[in-house]
Amino acid sequence: MIERQLTLIMENKPGALARVVGLFHQRGYNIDSLHVDSIEDFIPYKFIEDELDVKFSKGEVSRLVIKTTVADTLMRQILRQINKLIEVIAVSDEDSTYLKGILRDENLL
Amino acid sequence: MKLAGNDMLIQSLINEGVEYIFGYPGGAALHIYDSIFNQSEMQHILVRHEQGATHAADGYARATGKPGVVMVTSGPGATNAITGIATAFMDSIPMVVISGQVQSHLIGTDAFQETDMIGISRPIVKHSFTVDHQSNIPQIVKEAFHIATSGRQGPVVIDIPKDLTNPDDLFDYEYPKEVNIRSYNPPIKPEATQIERVVDAIFNSKKPVIYAGGGTISSNASKELIELNSYINVPVTNTLMGLGVYPATDDKFMGMLGMHGTYQANMAMHNADLILAIGARFDDRITNTPEKFAPKAQIVHFDVDHSSVSKIIEADIAVFGQVKDSLQAINKLIKDRLPELDITKFDDWHAQISKWKSEHGLNHNLYKDSSDENLILPQAAVQHIYQESKGKAFVTSDVGQHQMFAAQYYHFDEPRKWINSGGLGTMGFGLPSAMGVKLAYPDEEVICITGEGSIQMCIQELSTCSQYKLPIKIFNINNLALGMVKQWQDMNYDGRHSSISYEDSLPDFKELAESYGHVGIKITKNSDLKKGIEEAFSIKDKLVFVDIYVDPNEHVYPMLVAPNGSLKDMWLAKGSKT
Repeated sequence: MIERQLTLIMENKPGALARVVGLFHQRGYNIDSLHVDSIEDFIPYKFIEDELDVKFSKGEVSRLVIKTTVADTLMRQILRQINKLIEVIAVSDEDSTYLKGILRDENLL
Repeated sequence: MKLAGNDMLIQSLINEGVEYIFGYPGGAALHIYDSIFNQSEMQHILVRHEQGATHAADGYARATGKPGVVMVTSGPGATNAITGIATAFMDSIPMVVISGQVQSHLIGTDAFQETDMIGISRPIVKHSFTVDHQSNIPQIVKEAFHIATSGRQGPVVIDIPKDLTNPDDLFDYEYPKEVNIRSYNPPIKPEATQIERVVDAIFNSKKPVIYAGGGTISSNASKELIELNSYINVPVTNTLMGLGVYPATDDKFMGMLGMHGTYQANMAMHNADLILAIGARFDDRITNTPEKFAPKAQIVHFDVDHSSVSKIIEADIAVFGQVKDSLQAINKLIKDRLPELDITKFDDWHAQISKWKSEHGLNHNLYKDSSDENLILPQAAVQHIYQESKGKAFVTSDVGQHQMFAAQYYHFDEPRKWINSGGLGTMGFGLPSAMGVKLAYPDEEVICITGEGSIQMCIQELSTCSQYKLPIKIFNINNLALGMVKQWQDMNYDGRHSSISYEDSLPDFKELAESYGHVGIKITKNSDLKKGIEEAFSIKDKLVFVDIYVDPNEHVYPMLVAPNGSLKDMWLAKGSKT
């Protein structure tokens, strides 16, 4: 078991953060640390805008960084469970990313 | 068009094509109920408890494939709906639940009938919305129905504060034609490379099994599944949630698998070299000890939900997408490559399964014994119900021994006919869900097979059946105790029957049903069983409550040996295991 980092891009809506945090508890995973910011600079995330065919405006989207200590097999399950949350636009761990519900084999975030 | 929030909400439901709203009014929902009063396109069904509303909507959804709609008020109205929402969530049933909320300015003040419905329901919904402004109502309703009915289906809650339904505040109303949620994209098409790998795996196997579950029903893929097996001709088993998706009377069908599955189905899974898991999720009631599950099998898993695949059992080949699309793609490719497949190579495998079936298969002729030397067997009661309804009825059930007997002995030949709470295991589900089915299909036979424990958890809905004239048939498999708990206490606790009996305080169910204006029938003798059930089926225009006193000591077999057992480890009768 090693500490792993997850990065999420999600809609900045009331209750959205609670869904992520709640999911960790509900599925029996522990959070070591959590950092959340409203995204101000969209340049690094232009590929998401292109993929979704939208232009984000300030305050609309948040970036979450979560650290958690879990086994490899469970990590994949956490990623998939987070991907199911309706307000999550993208989620990645060290070597994979779900974007628009589709899995890519690299960390894009 | 300008509308107030309450009318917007109701007009949005009408635009979605909703036929029935199952609900219960209250303070925070009064404006909405005024809008319901002022329209005639939808019928509101007034239940007697909000749990009944959610189960009725759930039954309607399972039988029709269309989303069930529930309306409740804030506070206790909302919390009473929770069990039904969780039931729908566990079985991936499309449902939209609208809960009234206290006025916006009171939220967070512990106001009268205030509860955080979004917070309470969060772990048991697919998604939820709080209405923040009237003008967002049409968009929210559209998105709620889209989310509930797409991808892996599930319940969606819309919480709406009372002031946002105020009839005096008018806003522009237009119902959106399309919906696009940028962060939500349920997978649609399966990958062609995976489809090829599946066909190769089938063609290379000698002992394949199709294991199909509820996802095959929600995806409306029964026809595609039957077509697939018309080409490959392999043994099929269904989960408790999947019964009916493959015809039970087909000779390739082995019966249900798992905890109370048939001997041949569990043995076939354990010995298979290829398992085609189709819209099934390897629940713990299926796998027994996961490490010992199907040790020789290559696993192919078809699912719309990424998180279901390789969660419990690692899949060798995963096919993501709607099961219907995946099976269509498989069928197309198999048709092209059919000359490569010699199905006679499965002959030995079929012979082995027939042997298992003849050794320890279920006895479907128990109903032929009408001697009064014996108590009524619950299995025989189900067999009579099957005979009398000619296998064509919708059957809802509650949870416990009667549920397992119904699943084992009623042969379902069509999907959406068997309606039960498989995932959550909710006692009280049977009667209200039968109401939802009967409203959807008023001309079809709708049966609720229940027990005297379960029926009392929502028995108040007998009154609703009276009000809306719902002539369903209730068969109460009455063993005077919480039979499944008692069975576990017999088997694992040396027969110490802790808190499972209420024998001296049961109501007379016949008289109880009659007091609601229904017909009651009581059957206590084996020799009266056939006649009593025939009589029940001869009554067409009234609800019939048949109270059948069965052998209180009967157990459900087969039963998987746990803990640490595999699928081949089963109790086959009292004191006898494999």
